[in-house]
Amino acid sequence: MSALTSGLLAAAHSLLAYSDAATAGLWPRAAALLARQALEQGLNDFWLERAPGVEDSSRRSQLLCLRSYADEQLAEEASHTWAALSRACHHHAYELSPTASELERWMRSVTDVVDSLEKSRGRAEITSP
Amino acid sequence: MDESLQRIVFERLQADGSLDLDWSVYVIAACNGAADLEATLESSSAAEASELAPPAATTAPAGAYLSSITVQGFRGIGPEATLKVQAGPGFTLVVGRNGSGKSSFADALEVLFTGDSHRWAGRRTQVWKEGWRNLHHPHPAMVEAVLLVEGSGPATVTRRWKEDDAVEAGVAEVKPHGKGKQSLDYLGWTEALVTHRPFLSYNELSSMLDEGPGKLYDALSLVLGLEDLVEAQTALSTSRRTRKKAMDTAKKALAPLRERLEQVRDEGGDQRAAECLAATGGRIWDLDAVEALTGDHTAAAGEIDRLRRVVVLELPAPARVAEAASKLRQATLEREAATGSGSHRAGTLASLLEGALDYHEHDNGSDCPVCNTPGALDPQWKNRAQDEAARLRAEAASWEQALGAERAAVRDAKELLVPAPSVLQGAADILAPEPVLEAWQQWRAGITLTAPEELADHLEKNSEPLSGALETLKLEARTELNARQERWRPVARDLTQWVKEARTASLGMKHDPSLKAAEDWLKKTGDSIRAQRFEPIGNQAIELWEHLRQQSNVQLGKIELAGAKTRRRVTLDVTVDGVAGAALGVMSQGELHALALSLFLPRATLEESPFRFVVVDDPVQSMDPARVDGLARAFEEVAQERQVIVFTHDERLPDAVRRLGIEATTIGVTRRPASVVELRLTSHPVIAHLSDARALVADSRLPEDVRRRVVPGFCRSALEAVFTDRVRGRRLAAGAEHAAVEKELAAANTLNELAAIALFDDKARTSDVMNRLNQIGGWAGDTFKQMNRGAHHAYPGALFKLVNDSEKLCKQVAHH
Repeated sequence: MSALTSGLLAAAHSLLAYSDAATAGLWPRAAALLARQALEQGLNDFWLERAPGVEDSSRRSQLLCLRSYADEQLAEEASHTWAALSRACHHHAYELSPTASELERWMRSVTDVVDSLEKSRGRAEITSP
Repeated sequence: MDESLQRIVFERLQADGSLDLDWSVYVIAACNGAADLEATLESSSAAEASELAPPAATTAPAGAYLSSITVQGFRGIGPEATLKVQAGPGFTLVVGRNGSGKSSFADALEVLFTGDSHRWAGRRTQVWKEGWRNLHHPHPAMVEAVLLVEGSGPATVTRRWKEDDAVEAGVAEVKPHGKGKQSLDYLGWTEALVTHRPFLSYNELSSMLDEGPGKLYDALSLVLGLEDLVEAQTALSTSRRTRKKAMDTAKKALAPLRERLEQVRDEGGDQRAAECLAATGGRIWDLDAVEALTGDHTAAAGEIDRLRRVVVLELPAPARVAEAASKLRQATLEREAATGSGSHRAGTLASLLEGALDYHEHDNGSDCPVCNTPGALDPQWKNRAQDEAARLRAEAASWEQALGAERAAVRDAKELLVPAPSVLQGAADILAPEPVLEAWQQWRAGITLTAPEELADHLEKNSEPLSGALETLKLEARTELNARQERWRPVARDLTQWVKEARTASLGMKHDPSLKAAEDWLKKTGDSIRAQRFEPIGNQAIELWEHLRQQSNVQLGKIELAGAKTRRRVTLDVTVDGVAGAALGVMSQGELHALALSLFLPRATLEESPFRFVVVDDPVQSMDPARVDGLARAFEEVAQERQVIVFTHDERLPDAVRRLGIEATTIGVTRRPASVVELRLTSHPVIAHLSDARALVADSRLPEDVRRRVVPGFCRSALEAVFTDRVRGRRLAAGAEHAAVEKELAAANTLNELAAIALFDDKARTSDVMNRLNQIGGWAGDTFKQMNRGAHHAYPGALFKLVNDSEKLCKQVAHH
């Protein structure tokens, strides 16, 4: 995991762990934002090595392409995690903030996905969706 | 009992060696029902081993997918509206606002098959029942579904209502492919509709966990099909209880009887009472003895017997005594008369003359040997003496006769002087026989008398006192006997009745050890079969819960059906934050609902269920956003093998499906004024794949070579989806075996093979695929070729044209 990715995740974790008057009420979304950035950074690192340039495309494109460049389950997990974090990042007046355990779960997913992406970076094969 | 279940019971009996034990016949009989059990117990004869042969397997009703639902004039739907669903495994979402009529489809389907709906099974019965017709279009009312039935193809199920019919009065019929109309029973779903209920609604699910552990147990255990086992268990325990009750009744009835016996015994010293008490005193009753003691023709023992023997004592009749006395006197008189008339002398003289004649004859004597008169004994004398001797001899004989008669009279008289019978002495403890004994002794004393005259006096003097004393004693004895019989008879009568009951009860209890063994075995085996059958459901529920729990800190361990009868319950091994705790109490409404869904979705999707579809109405309510994601993925998983149709008014579910990239068909429902309900296909896996492809084409920042490698794959996925739908649609409509269809699809390794199946129904005809596609147009063949090249090659041509051609090809193939 790159220093940037792990730094982002560490920051997200610390938001969960320490209460601070300054972040009261804001921390769930802030943590989601940081976790999503960590995932996106992992994807960037992946694309830079496997198919440079894809990292500049839209996230939807990246996640769709991932089905061809990594195994399907990993692509699916990445999509699910990214979708869940994105929803948490956007403030919807009618939706409740994600809970701490929910965020922890997603952050674990981010770590898993990024680690797996790193492992499959070496493979040059492109798989069929 | 269900035959397959009976077979399992039989095999279990065989497996643990119980089949050889005497009680195994009761297990088998109980499995055949309570009546059979009683008959077996009654006959007591071990059922023949041949009768216990394992029954043959039964066939389950054919499975079916839904193809369409058409509703008219029912709840929110006015004019006829049809919801078409892709047959085969897959996830269909029907989305519409509240009041759009979407739930009416779910409801209508349930009413169609079951004649009822969970919606109005609740408290608001009347309101719901009256409001089932559409306001704008109350008549005609009709619900129809087209099923694709395994083995026979399409079948149309229709329920129609006449103008004034109540909801339950609708008449349903089935029109199978190529056959005439049949009743709804034709499908053979009656039982499965209860056990594997394929309709799940929010209302129903949330009530499941609220209505107590028994209700939940019933709902979950019904699917296991083990009610017959419970019934068999009940038959055994009822039989035991009935027997025990009979024994208790007999015991209870004995207590007052024994008290009465004790009273009889103590009051009158009745031996029978004492013996009855002894016979019923132990743990095991000697009923034969009691029966003998209480019977009518019994030789009563002891005091009663002695009294009876006293009562029947008889003396010689007074006339006979008088006659004997008078005979004595007569004989004496006659004998005396004979003596007086010289009968004795005659004998002596006859003997003397006879001696003299003998002397004269043999010794030639002629002198009188008595008076010495010489020559007295001459022939003249001899003649005279011979005549005289004969006369005297006759005279002597009459005397001897009189003497003999007198002796006989004495003998006869003494015969009357019998000794006192021993019973008199024996009855001394009950009666007062002393006067009789005394009189009798006096009577008997006459035996030593020799003089007939004295004897006659003795008889005349002692007869009356003896018979008088005896009559007094007999009266006393009779009175005593009656008193005792009066005390005894009612007790005896009740005892006789009781013996009958006690005998039946005892006979019944004879089976108790065997029945208990049978009951224990069946209970143990039932629990084990239940656990075994429930295991896959429990496991799948836990798996689903893993999807649904999301951020919930409630973890679900083992799920078990425990207890029986009033204590039956579902035990959920729930841990909260790793701590085992109170199960349902700590869960939120949303969690409970998710749990209910986890529990009941597996029930509806069991292998043996004939329903290849499951209809879920409104599953999203009160769920957290994250749990909606989990729900979508749970449905995705179930949809791998089942046709999942979900009705929802909540945007979040289709949202989650879209976001998570779950393959699903989404159908939008809208309702115009006057209950005109319209349905529109808003999303389909083919559409989704093509739209993903277009998004990639449109993303200008995506490197060109990546785009060229990736896009054809999405086009290919779209065509694969079309081919798969086509194969399923055709095969299922032809009544193919559902599992075989899925197996064939899974075995198609290449796009070519899939195309060959879709186009020619023959996996081997891959070489004809290109020809057929080229018949559609050269572009079609080219497009297919590009899809087939996969991601290993960058597509050289215009990508937007490839996607457009792919869409065109998909449409052509779909409607081909």
